[in-house]
Amino acid sequence: MNDLLLALGTNRRARSVVGALKLPIPLPEPLARAAGPWEARPLEGESVVVSGGPLLAAITGALAEAGATVLVDDAALLATARAAAEAYARPVRVDADSRGASSANASGLASSANASRVHALVLDATAFETVEQLRAAYVFLSPRVGRLARSGRVVVIARACASTASPATNAVRTALAGMVRAIAKEVGRKGATANTLIVAEGAEARMPPVLRWLLDRRSAFVTAQPLTVTARAAAARSPAVVRPLDGQVALVTGAARGIGKATAQALAAEGARVICVDRAEDSAETSQVAQAIGGSVVLADVTAADTPQRIIDALGPRGVDIVVHNAGITRDKTLGRMSPEAWDAVLGVNLAAVIRITDALLAGALRDGGRVLCLSSVSGIAGNVGQANYSASKAALIGYVDALAAQVAPRGITANAIAPGFIETRMTAAIPLMIREAGRRLAALGQGGQPEDVAQALAFLASPGAQGITGATLRVCGGALIGA
Amino acid sequence: MGTSNSSKRRAVVVGGMRTPFVKAFTDFTRLDTFALGAAATRALLARLDLAYREVEGVVWGGVILPGGAPNVGREIALDLGLPPSAEAMTVTRACASGLQAVTLAAAAIERGEADVMIAGGSDSTSNAEVKLPQQIIHAFAPLALGKPAVSDYVAALGKLGPIGQLIPRQPKIAERTTGEVMGESAERMATRWEITRQAQDELALRSHQRAAAAIASGRFASEVTKVEVGDGTWVHGDGLVRGDTSLERLAKLRPAFSKEGTITAGNASPLTDGAAAVLLMSEDKARALGYRPLAAIRSWAYIGVDPADQLLIGPALAVPKALDRAGVTLADCDYVDLHEAFAAQVLCVTKALASASFARARLGRETAVGEIDPAKLNVRGGSIALGHPFGATGARMVTTMANELAASNKQLAVLGICAAGGLGAAAVLERV
Repeated sequence: MNDLLLALGTNRRARSVVGALKLPIPLPEPLARAAGPWEARPLEGESVVVSGGPLLAAITGALAEAGATVLVDDAALLATARAAAEAYARPVRVDADSRGASSANASGLASSANASRVHALVLDATAFETVEQLRAAYVFLSPRVGRLARSGRVVVIARACASTASPATNAVRTALAGMVRAIAKEVGRKGATANTLIVAEGAEARMPPVLRWLLDRRSAFVTAQPLTVTARAAAARSPAVVRPLDGQVALVTGAARGIGKATAQALAAEGARVICVDRAEDSAETSQVAQAIGGSVVLADVTAADTPQRIIDALGPRGVDIVVHNAGITRDKTLGRMSPEAWDAVLGVNLAAVIRITDALLAGALRDGGRVLCLSSVSGIAGNVGQANYSASKAALIGYVDALAAQVAPRGITANAIAPGFIETRMTAAIPLMIREAGRRLAALGQGGQPEDVAQALAFLASPGAQGITGATLRVCGGALIGA
Repeated sequence: MGTSNSSKRRAVVVGGMRTPFVKAFTDFTRLDTFALGAAATRALLARLDLAYREVEGVVWGGVILPGGAPNVGREIALDLGLPPSAEAMTVTRACASGLQAVTLAAAAIERGEADVMIAGGSDSTSNAEVKLPQQIIHAFAPLALGKPAVSDYVAALGKLGPIGQLIPRQPKIAERTTGEVMGESAERMATRWEITRQAQDELALRSHQRAAAAIASGRFASEVTKVEVGDGTWVHGDGLVRGDTSLERLAKLRPAFSKEGTITAGNASPLTDGAAAVLLMSEDKARALGYRPLAAIRSWAYIGVDPADQLLIGPALAVPKALDRAGVTLADCDYVDLHEAFAAQVLCVTKALASASFARARLGRETAVGEIDPAKLNVRGGSIALGHPFGATGARMVTTMANELAASNKQLAVLGICAAGGLGAAAVLERV
């Protein structure tokens, strides 16, 4: 009966029985995920309500291009939104819960019963600087949050918090992030997510592809997170809505199974030629993965001295565009009882090898506009008992990409990390049941993620549309409480 | 391809001729696509008094190609008794097939491959082959092609599935990739571009009125030939034009593709039988033979869009591309001729061309391609009134616009055609 609840939660009939009997069994909402490669119009047929703000035209354009029907919260916004949506022949309408309608509602609290479900709510809070303006977030979201569909999305677009801003302004911007984390916990029950999209001054043009991904089913397990878009990395390729990695070469370490395998598959599905790196012991699995996606294999231990050179030789003169440092190990023991070998092994694979291989590739093989992606972990953010070595190595990568980003930005290269939370893999299946179940429950979405969720996040960060994101660590954790 | 370059050989339209266009399964039911094509081509050569030996090649467009002889152009040439040395090919680009034939012939002339070419297209929807389901073909082909034993027949019967899958399917114009019937695609576009039923009916009415006026004034006499349909009966003119229709009558028609829809039989092009042929020559050859060319083919363009998105928006991208290649703007054009698959589609395309937002997102330019003055658009009616024999329409449009430029002594006309598969086609004609 190990994961009975998990199985129960995905069974429609079981869910209705539990619901009808009002049993005190928490059944997490199955998340809507996307199968296959990126679609031209992932939001086809979906309604998205957009608030007024400086970025209205850009937001509406991105939504219309993705196939969504845009609803604005005020008739005064129609002209601007319509002009933007017209490019993709999408009509724009005024949302039923518009300001006029809600002020007519005496209580102003309950959402209109006749208003329809919406896939997403997008609040443009980039102009918010005062507590009075902050109230507009409440006015926009409160009547509508109940109308959010299962696996819906809330995205708040804001400016970055900065100690150089006026204290009041900085307070308001910080408030938005706090509000979003709370909303994530409220809407998580229905599989919906809430995230903040922070857009730096001058990086507005890099916002649309990130918004698009946050509204896509591909970001299903990303919630309560901030994603920051800046103009730090020099411009490189222009974004593509389908096959974003067409013609690119990607390197994935630890590609034989789990997240590495899912990542190799996701990158290949978006058009990349993938070179799968794993140890000689996993030759059969690695070959299978590579063969299925038309990639190639380099059998190597990432810690071996000659591995960087062997990788560069395998890449050939074309070089590489995307490097995913996924290979990682655990050797858990509380610190006092941890052997030096356990410390050295974990730091060697998870950190030293990453630095050495990246340095070697940066000397020439990594092309301008490229991507360095590291697999960090929520364990590196929160720290886990018995994982001093592992937590150290995973925290290290957060600092590594932060500093690396500045160094490679002039070449248009971005460096980012992903911090997975509880992901259903061979590694987590070995955790004792009660702890495992706690790992799933202690998250806004009340469940574990899939390797594909991490792979999709990596494919997105690898895409040209993520040029604005660098030096960041993105949690793919379902809104886990740990370390948040 | 299809660019303007004054130093190179120019392909000119010497003349064009078409059969009357009639509703499918009416007067032309006994004429197949070969007979229709031959009728148009024979009349064209007779009217221009061209010696058959001058014809070097035939490029023909068709959509419903006969399985037994898909190279329709060659069959027409042989049926007519053109010299066997006149080569021939048949092309298909859905509803843009006729224009494709004309531009291929123009390309051959520009490249110096030929001086005299016939280009055109025809389709007989009345003679579409009803297809057997593949399951039957796969089951019985081994029997037909081998030396079967009795047991093989029994085995073949065993391979057949449920009876419902064995009934020959009614042919319909559905996209292979999306399964959507073209009218449904047009209906979705009308919703997205917020095109009203009334606007569609108004465009349809204008199409009928202008076509009827062209017929009444004798304007089409030089480009439509009478056709004998057997036992001495002749069809003299187009059968679908309703000059006396009205907005009231059109408004009464029921939506054809969805209950709440706006597309009706009245504001869509009907299934039609017919053929059209164009005589193209190099400019020098035309003059040497004593012809006064009507117009030159100045440029053309073909593009593709995602059929699952806006199937019929293609002309909004092809028209600016052809205009760019010609080095002219939409405002420079004296006439705009858009194939009317559906009134809704024409209105979507004109709205897109007038949209700066569309131009920025889809064409990468800051300003809209331009507004189209209704007085310049489809001045002699379009496919809604005249009908739309798929392969013939492009050649019909080239003929009508070439005649229009010559008769009115105007300079430029641009043509736009949408086609199944999400294709768009356009061409620019200029007065010689």
